[in-house]
Amino acid sequence: MTVLSIENLSVTIRRPGRQVAALSGVSFAVRPGEVVGLVGESGGGKSMVARAVVGLLPGGSHATGRVRLGDSDVLRMDDAALAAHRGRGVAICFQNPRGALSPTRTIGKQLVDRLATHQDMSGDRAREAARELFETVGIRSAQRRLDAYAHELSGGMAQRVMISLATGCAPELLIADEPTTGLDVTLTREILRQFRHAADTDGRGVLLISHDLASIAEVCDRVVVLYAGTVVESGPAAQVLREPAHPYTRALLRSVPDVGGRPVVATPGAMPLLTQEPDNCPFVARCAHADRTCSTRRPPTAPVPGGGEWSLACFHPQTRPLDAGTPPPPAAEEKGAETGANPKPAVLEVEDAHVVYRSRFGSGGHHALRGVTLRLAPGETLGVVGESGCGKSTLAKLVMGLVAPTSGTVTVAGRALVGQPGRPRPRGRALRRARTRAQLVFQDPIGSLSPRRTVGDSIAEPLRAAGLSPAQREERVTAVLDRMELDRSILKRYPHELSGGQAQRVGIARALVGEPDLIVFDEPTSALDVTVQAQILDVIADVAADADRASVFISHDLATVRGFADRVVVLYLGRVVEEGPVDVVFDTPRHPYTRALLGSAPRLGPTTGSDGEAVELVKDLEEADAATGCPLAARCPFATGRCRTEQQELQSYGESRAACWRVPELPALIGRQAVTP
Amino acid sequence: MRILRFVVRRLLQLVPVLLGVVVLAFLLVRVLPGDPVRSILGQNATEEDAAAARARFGLDQSLWHQFLDYLGGLLTGDFGTSIQSGGSVGSEMALRVGPTLELVVISVTFALVVATVLGIWSAKRANRAGDHSIRIFALVGNSVPEFWLGLVLVLVGYSILGWFPAPNGRVDPDTGLTPLTGADLVDAVLTANGPATASAAAYLVLPVLTLVVGVVAPLLRSVRASALEVLHSESYAAAKAHGLRDRTLHHGYLLRATLVRLPSLAALVFGTAIGSTVLVEYVFSWQGFGQWALRGLLYRDYPVVQASVLVIALCYVLVFLIADVVHAILDPRVRL
Amino acid sequence: MAELRTVPGGPAAAPVVVPGGDRDGRFASRMIIAGASILSVVALAAVFAPLLSQWGETEIDAANTLVAPGGSHLLGTDGNGMDIWSRVLYAARLDLGIALAAVALAVVVGTLLGLVAGYFGGWLDDVLMRVVDIFQSFPTFILALAVAALLGNGTINLIVTIAAVNAPAYARLVRAEVRSLRELPFVDAAITSGASPAGVLWRHLLPNSLTPVRVIAPLNCGWAMLTLAGLSFLGLGVSIPEAEWGAMISLGAADVVGGRWWTSVPPGLALFVCVLGFSLLGEGLQDRANAKRR
Repeated sequence: MTVLSIENLSVTIRRPGRQVAALSGVSFAVRPGEVVGLVGESGGGKSMVARAVVGLLPGGSHATGRVRLGDSDVLRMDDAALAAHRGRGVAICFQNPRGALSPTRTIGKQLVDRLATHQDMSGDRAREAARELFETVGIRSAQRRLDAYAHELSGGMAQRVMISLATGCAPELLIADEPTTGLDVTLTREILRQFRHAADTDGRGVLLISHDLASIAEVCDRVVVLYAGTVVESGPAAQVLREPAHPYTRALLRSVPDVGGRPVVATPGAMPLLTQEPDNCPFVARCAHADRTCSTRRPPTAPVPGGGEWSLACFHPQTRPLDAGTPPPPAAEEKGAETGANPKPAVLEVEDAHVVYRSRFGSGGHHALRGVTLRLAPGETLGVVGESGCGKSTLAKLVMGLVAPTSGTVTVAGRALVGQPGRPRPRGRALRRARTRAQLVFQDPIGSLSPRRTVGDSIAEPLRAAGLSPAQREERVTAVLDRMELDRSILKRYPHELSGGQAQRVGIARALVGEPDLIVFDEPTSALDVTVQAQILDVIADVAADADRASVFISHDLATVRGFADRVVVLYLGRVVEEGPVDVVFDTPRHPYTRALLGSAPRLGPTTGSDGEAVELVKDLEEADAATGCPLAARCPFATGRCRTEQQELQSYGESRAACWRVPELPALIGRQAVTP
Repeated sequence: MRILRFVVRRLLQLVPVLLGVVVLAFLLVRVLPGDPVRSILGQNATEEDAAAARARFGLDQSLWHQFLDYLGGLLTGDFGTSIQSGGSVGSEMALRVGPTLELVVISVTFALVVATVLGIWSAKRANRAGDHSIRIFALVGNSVPEFWLGLVLVLVGYSILGWFPAPNGRVDPDTGLTPLTGADLVDAVLTANGPATASAAAYLVLPVLTLVVGVVAPLLRSVRASALEVLHSESYAAAKAHGLRDRTLHHGYLLRATLVRLPSLAALVFGTAIGSTVLVEYVFSWQGFGQWALRGLLYRDYPVVQASVLVIALCYVLVFLIADVVHAILDPRVRL
Repeated sequence: MAELRTVPGGPAAAPVVVPGGDRDGRFASRMIIAGASILSVVALAAVFAPLLSQWGETEIDAANTLVAPGGSHLLGTDGNGMDIWSRVLYAARLDLGIALAAVALAVVVGTLLGLVAGYFGGWLDDVLMRVVDIFQSFPTFILALAVAALLGNGTINLIVTIAAVNAPAYARLVRAEVRSLRELPFVDAAITSGASPAGVLWRHLLPNSLTPVRVIAPLNCGWAMLTLAGLSFLGLGVSIPEAEWGAMISLGAADVVGGRWWTSVPPGLALFVCVLGFSLLGEGLQDRANAKRR
């Protein structure tokens, strides 16, 4: 018995001058009470599957095969049948929940609309049911929230509402399209649990679409891996994730950084954009095991011998364990010893910096950073981690001189880049020269390039400020292009013609071309696909290893930081709550917040048993506000009266420092929390 | 209550703006080339005659003195005396505002209804024949010169077909209409004067049609564009993907979200319509505010120009205030 | 699944085609082509007016005043005995010329003001935007009337009048664009790369903020023509004997009531078609820009 059964589905989108084979012969099924993960990178066809199931294929689509829900075929439904099918048969949770909620209708009414349409409820009964549904998805004070509008909700809250809307349709199949994009790690887990819950208690089939294998792994029963519109591997989640047999699945998994410190292995190349159904293996160009057969015939999907439901489309299934042959890098320790030995003059010094964004109207304002002190020597790499809203990006802007400190000082290579309290205001050519000593690599690679300037123009921008002649500029630009492994022809192109990975290489090239003393990477890979992210992380690791340059690497993703930072700083609501050598902080976290972050970070493969020690925070970040005392007090399960009243300063605990007075008692407390949740 | 407080605050903010308009209008009319006094005196008037006339209208005083006089008059509701007619500007204007407002309000209301219905209808059929025809119609409305359209309508409706009265006024004088508000149709209805109602309505058809064609075009384009935006929005797609009924979709998810932006545009269009009345009234000899203000401008009749500038500005800002309030009621994201 | 109607499907291999996807751009292209063709024809008529008509622009055939179309006067003559057809052709020169020049002037002035106000902000922005506010608190045609009365007749004055009335809209548009562009990372990137404020403005903000201007300008040209004709119609623009569509309509307005349509209808039709050309072009460009944004 299946809820959804997709049989040999192919979708080609034909538009004038353009043809895209979005899906080529996709088959898989979802059973009641089962959570199936549909994973792969963008362009793999995940969303197209969702659209086919809902019956919302884009204009110009030519579809073959079947999409069976029960005993009807969604592809061949007429309008009336489709209307009945949508919602009741399948309901979808959209990627951007705030955008998917109507802005001009209260969320309560939106849910009542669903209940009225699909469950024949009305009036008070519908409202009561709506309130109950809100409570089940974890919305506090649900009664009051019924009258809220979408713009009044935080991202996490909006996603909960979206889930309640979808389940309010009482569908047989629930689809979630990237439900946790943009959410913080601590929230991601909670949201994903909602889907598991929907499958377990209501017996719905759940199709969970995600680019992020690691995060959905633990709630899925089975996973289906898509590549270039084809299913390359599918099977029980545990098997596929632990011992993947398809080279693409393996590449995908090895590209994901891991908080445990497993090194990232990058796979070169990019996903092809197919114009027609492939007659070879679409992964052939990037595969290390490919041979003539792979490039002339398309591998059929066949069950893995002895694997139960496990099936594969590959001529050369891999059986070795994933991590074999990749010894842990010894580099980190050497480097740490080196920086400790001879103290060089600091490249970056931040002294007790505060940043307050004044609110435009009247008093108050947003306190983005509260007393941050940092010191960075040449050759050193500092990782900065924290959830959204913790002040990471403000820190980047502060270091770059794009934001002035409200109090405190920031010095880059001995100079100030912006007016600071009690120092002369830098200006003119000297300021512009000084600015080029520090460079920023942005989160949005394409958006950080001027849309109407060529790539060559953008890369040369810092050299222009330094006053180099065109000939010198060209020489430096070509040198840096080679280092980024970019082709010369890219110089004449415009940003919108680039892929995300190319654009980020260009961004790094621009940062590097003036040979600055400091490079700040502000979430440089969060907008990229997993295998591309691995490639860019490789490039960044190489750049960060330059001995005469310091780097700051800012990320919400702890795992990416672990790869190459020497030291790490954990930010929470504008304060440093813990800092220390990267391995020390990650292996023996001290602060409850660091413990919570690490505990909720997704892990692949066998977990190392740290689950029992994880700290669970009690509220969403959006609901907590930092008043006096410890900023975490409102969310910390171990907070006492002292935490709420007393400001916490960084104290040394072994090699690292943490801003929490209860650190020595924590191990015992956590043990107790695990027993009585 | 919040809305009331917002309205009061906005009205208070209006005071300096209107004061600025008063000062500006006062100074600008005096910069205009041409002498108002010369235009009322005959060809062979002597310099003494002119000086006497200037003294009569207080134009021989210092600029400061004139301004304070004018401002003092305004505060007591006295707009001054027309140089051309010698009559009170305030009472002349009172006669003229009614007919023009009637024309503009009827046209804009009509245009709003037509634009909303056709705009949403068109957006739902985006890129089909019906939609294309509506868009071409809107472009035509956008491109046709109103004064010429008025002439063509007169040519067809009066000269050729003879269905509508000649463009020589607002109501047949033989119906013996007693003016109350100046808006003839309203007066006719209020005084239960049947023949006058029919006559006033007949006189209104062509000028209203002229204004509507010009005014409906930008509204139609904008309603269509914002309906299209809603139809393409993620939130509408989500509601549709959850299988809500067409009625629910239309009323709950399309209509309000589409109309959110209409008020401010309607206010803008109201202003355009006021501008157009100058031309349309001229064509239909409407004898309304626009024609009166235009004559004042052409003859440099200082008090008339000052008063009409002030009234137009006041009208415009009030309409925008109403639009903001309606917007705030429609759109929960707006905080007053 | 009982309420789901089962639709007997064909063989799974037969493709199901979702219509659409190929018509989005076609209508926009057609509008652009139609608009450009109309404008080309009008421009050609303006240039080759002497070849297309045997009568001069202001030539008077005193023996034939207000004659109906036909005979030696293709579209008849007006009350002064001037040939309507040739004047309709000649008028395109003045109408197109003034409208294009006025919009060009408005774009240049408005864009510069908007750029400066949007990028530097502060008191400069406040002052500029208050001036724009005052300008925009009047219906544009009323404003044009006032400025025209202030400046008086003459080609240059009319250009300045129409430009002055339109420039505030461009200033506001560009300012809004600059302010939103300023928040984008590429501007930060330029600053951290050591670009000077002038460099950021000129090399990065200006080229990107012109996109909406390019779409609005054609529509605005049509509007400028209507304003010019409206001013002339009321006697505040071009005056007879110079050939201008609005002035020609005005001259014949009184005759229309008597059924003598040929003095007013042809120039109005010419004006309408020409403005329609601009509207079609602008609408098509806007459609295309929207499609790109989506």
